[in-house]
Amino acid sequence: MEYTIEVFLDDYRIGKLKGTPVESQIDAVFGGELKVVRVKVGEEIKGEVLKAFESARIDSRACITDTPVAFKRAVFDEIVKQKSLGEEVVKAVLARIDEIKELAAKESEYLPAPEIETE
Amino acid sequence: MSELYFKRPMPHGGKLVERVITDKKIAKKYVDVCKKSCPVYEIKPTLHYKRGVPVRNVYREIMSVCYGFFSPVEGSMTSAELESVLSKRRLLSGWVFPYPILFDISREDYQRLGVSEGDRLLITLKGKPFAILDIEEIYEIDPEELANRTFGSPETNPEVVREKFDDKHPGWVIYRSHQPIILAGKYTIINEPVFKPPFDRFWCPPRKCREEFEKRGWRTAIAHQTRNVPHVGHEHLMKNAAYTGDVEPCHGILVNAIIGVKRRGDYPDEAILEAHEAVNKYGYIKPERHMVTFTLWDMRYGNPLESLLHGIIRQNMGCTHHMFGRDHAAVGEYYDPFATQILWLKGIPSYGFDKPVNLVEGGLVIRPQNMREFWYCPVCKEMVYSETCGHTKEKQKLSGSLIRGLIAEGVQPPTIIMRPEVFRVVVKWWKKFNYPFVNEKYVMMKEEELEVDVPDLD
Repeated sequence: MEYTIEVFLDDYRIGKLKGTPVESQIDAVFGGELKVVRVKVGEEIKGEVLKAFESARIDSRACITDTPVAFKRAVFDEIVKQKSLGEEVVKAVLARIDEIKELAAKESEYLPAPEIETE
Repeated sequence: MSELYFKRPMPHGGKLVERVITDKKIAKKYVDVCKKSCPVYEIKPTLHYKRGVPVRNVYREIMSVCYGFFSPVEGSMTSAELESVLSKRRLLSGWVFPYPILFDISREDYQRLGVSEGDRLLITLKGKPFAILDIEEIYEIDPEELANRTFGSPETNPEVVREKFDDKHPGWVIYRSHQPIILAGKYTIINEPVFKPPFDRFWCPPRKCREEFEKRGWRTAIAHQTRNVPHVGHEHLMKNAAYTGDVEPCHGILVNAIIGVKRRGDYPDEAILEAHEAVNKYGYIKPERHMVTFTLWDMRYGNPLESLLHGIIRQNMGCTHHMFGRDHAAVGEYYDPFATQILWLKGIPSYGFDKPVNLVEGGLVIRPQNMREFWYCPVCKEMVYSETCGHTKEKQKLSGSLIRGLIAEGVQPPTIIMRPEVFRVVVKWWKKFNYPFVNEKYVMMKEEELEVDVPDLD
């Protein structure tokens, strides 16, 4: 079975992909309100990601979700570096999993809230 | 015409269990007598059998039993009742019940208490008298066997179980982490805990809930199970499922959140309740038709088994219908995604149901409304029902996980996915806890402080 890791793009990230082969693979979803690129992985890599992060899960769309922000950021950086959406992107991220886990551990304590008005 | 109307269902088992002493004078007498003659046990959280973090607090089960959410269960199960539940999913009285409900203590505590059958135990919470347990039987369990038998396996339950349960499954971990000595018997709450805000606004036990339905004129009400803040897909599920009813759509939608220890990555309980409230507060569903409540329970994530418990709770609360979607109360890939619907539509013989839950003896009266999925259709340009919209290839599925991913990265979900008022609630509690989701710190804080305070009876 094939699984997907979605990376959502804001303007900054879209800029980073401009002019690369990945640019043409950017999808607009939900009425064009969200931009996303998708990395496809197989069973083995899926298993490694789930093993690495306790919070990770597979959702109803066969997407690997609830991975730490540090992991998602690393996947995006690797996409930019390799100019690819292939499985090798995730393999490269998993090669430095200890460093990412360290960042993830810090982020499990604190994430800055957006500055919006609440009640 | 009236013969076409649905009646409010009887409580499961025929009668609401209410084991709460509300008269302070009587309660004080109980406490005074107990303090002189009963052993005292202070409730402790159940800790993960490997990692030592809280995974459950038995006080939530005592509350849910004594206020009638779990009617007809009246206390901690005897060994015969436990065996009956594990082998047939039936109480000894024959009524359907999916899970073991047990008061478990360690061997050391058992020795220290020196209790035997026929004794009364005074249970304290946060150092104050809370409940009594009249001990009918004391027996020993093997927690691993209990966990395995509670959920089954691909071999014993091949119709719906896909993977062997293990320590990545929070429900399995809860039973695996039970202490080995079980004190069985009826609970009675002798000192009602007081809910802290915001929980106090949403506390509505079955008796009160039934009265509220009467007051609102809700002949029919459909229950919505949740452990999540609502996205627009949930809202569509609620609105569309509510079109069922008798001669007109359901008069009310009862949101009943499960409040207790959650998985890392779920939303804080406070955010879940207030986010659902935002749906009616800001008019996405009229408050006259939508009511938010909760049940105390540390979720077992047992998909079809959990759906039985949900049916029982909401039937006891007075609902005529219960909506069930894909992956109901599920985690991981342990179950068939539609295991709950299989149980309610066909039955699952290996769990003791050779017919649907409503058709077996001792079964439920609440009607299932089995829904498939809602997704965004870019052709229709709206949220659609999977069995109605023909643009299946173009579907864009939304999931709670997708939204959590956006939120964690600081991206406000588009309004087509999450209402801005709901997002504001998430951010409100994010600012309070410095984190948008349940993390270790939240669990530790929550399990220390709990949702309640226990008043001083003096």
